[in-house]
Amino acid sequence: MNRINFERFFKTEKQKQFSTDFFKNAGEYETWDEINFSTDKEFDGEQTFTIKAEDMKAYAEGVLDDHALMNDEKYAQKSPYGSLVPHPIFITQIAFWCIGTKGQGNWIRTPGARNPGQDFEFYEPFRVGETIHIKMRPYDRYIKRGKYYLKYKIDFYSQKEVKKATWILTLILPRTKADIKKFVEGVRGLDA
Amino acid sequence: MTKITFDSVQTGQELAPFTKKVNQEIFWKYAVASFDYNPVHNDPEWVKTAQPFKVPYTVAHGMMTMSFMTSVVTNWAYPNMLRIRKITSKFTLPVAPGWTVKCTGVISEKHVISKGKNYVVVDLKAENQEGALLGVGEIEVVFPD
Repeated sequence: MNRINFERFFKTEKQKQFSTDFFKNAGEYETWDEINFSTDKEFDGEQTFTIKAEDMKAYAEGVLDDHALMNDEKYAQKSPYGSLVPHPIFITQIAFWCIGTKGQGNWIRTPGARNPGQDFEFYEPFRVGETIHIKMRPYDRYIKRGKYYLKYKIDFYSQKEVKKATWILTLILPRTKADIKKFVEGVRGLDA
Repeated sequence: MTKITFDSVQTGQELAPFTKKVNQEIFWKYAVASFDYNPVHNDPEWVKTAQPFKVPYTVAHGMMTMSFMTSVVTNWAYPNMLRIRKITSKFTLPVAPGWTVKCTGVISEKHVISKGKNYVVVDLKAENQEGALLGVGEIEVVFPD
């Protein structure tokens, strides 16, 4: 259940539509021990992300960055960029949206997951008006000091199939569905 | 403002820090901005018993700390039309509500390749108000000149 009233912070259309309750359907999230590494097959995200100025501005505001290139459309239009420039980690918003709730990669929503650090490469800037889609595949899975690490490679493409960025997404996860269930019930589901 | 060129930057050069005090309200706003609604950042009641980080309080999103570190570089690079190509990060200590996060960056490497491909590496770190290390990162910045 979601005890927090997030609605008072909503400013964008996507924020109003996105599922904020990470406990809901948590029993259906992929788990560390379920990921299939036997194939290199890529899979698509659940939905695409059409970038609006309000999305970029919301991210900049969320990270307390008031740089005019990220927040002021008129200023950005007059700059050499010609339009808003996203904060680089705006890519997080795109990823969560595109992965969605029911498809592969939904382990990113796992209650109790921990973030040990991340890696990004950027090839082309994200622009307002583009529609981004992602392709994902399992990248690595390992145990280190009793913690269960899972990595996915996520590639971000425009509607013209221009590769925009790559995220090697890493989280420390509860290992099994039973461990996730513990977290949902408010009990620690990790050994380390 | 003097335009920054590849010739003008030097290893050891420090960038302007990016410092923010955070609290639960800011964690919630970041959740909305990023779509990361993991309860470890958002639900003070749940975390009292669930304790993914072995502490009974919420902690900041790692991606927020990473964003703060990245802003050290964007504030320097974006006005000068420099391109961020690669970002890596590791988090060493979860950030508690009420802490001040101070992010600093130093140009650690200068890669002299060719016009349009020259780049620098900025080493980043985030510390709290007591100097405890919260995270580190590296960002590659490509120069157009």
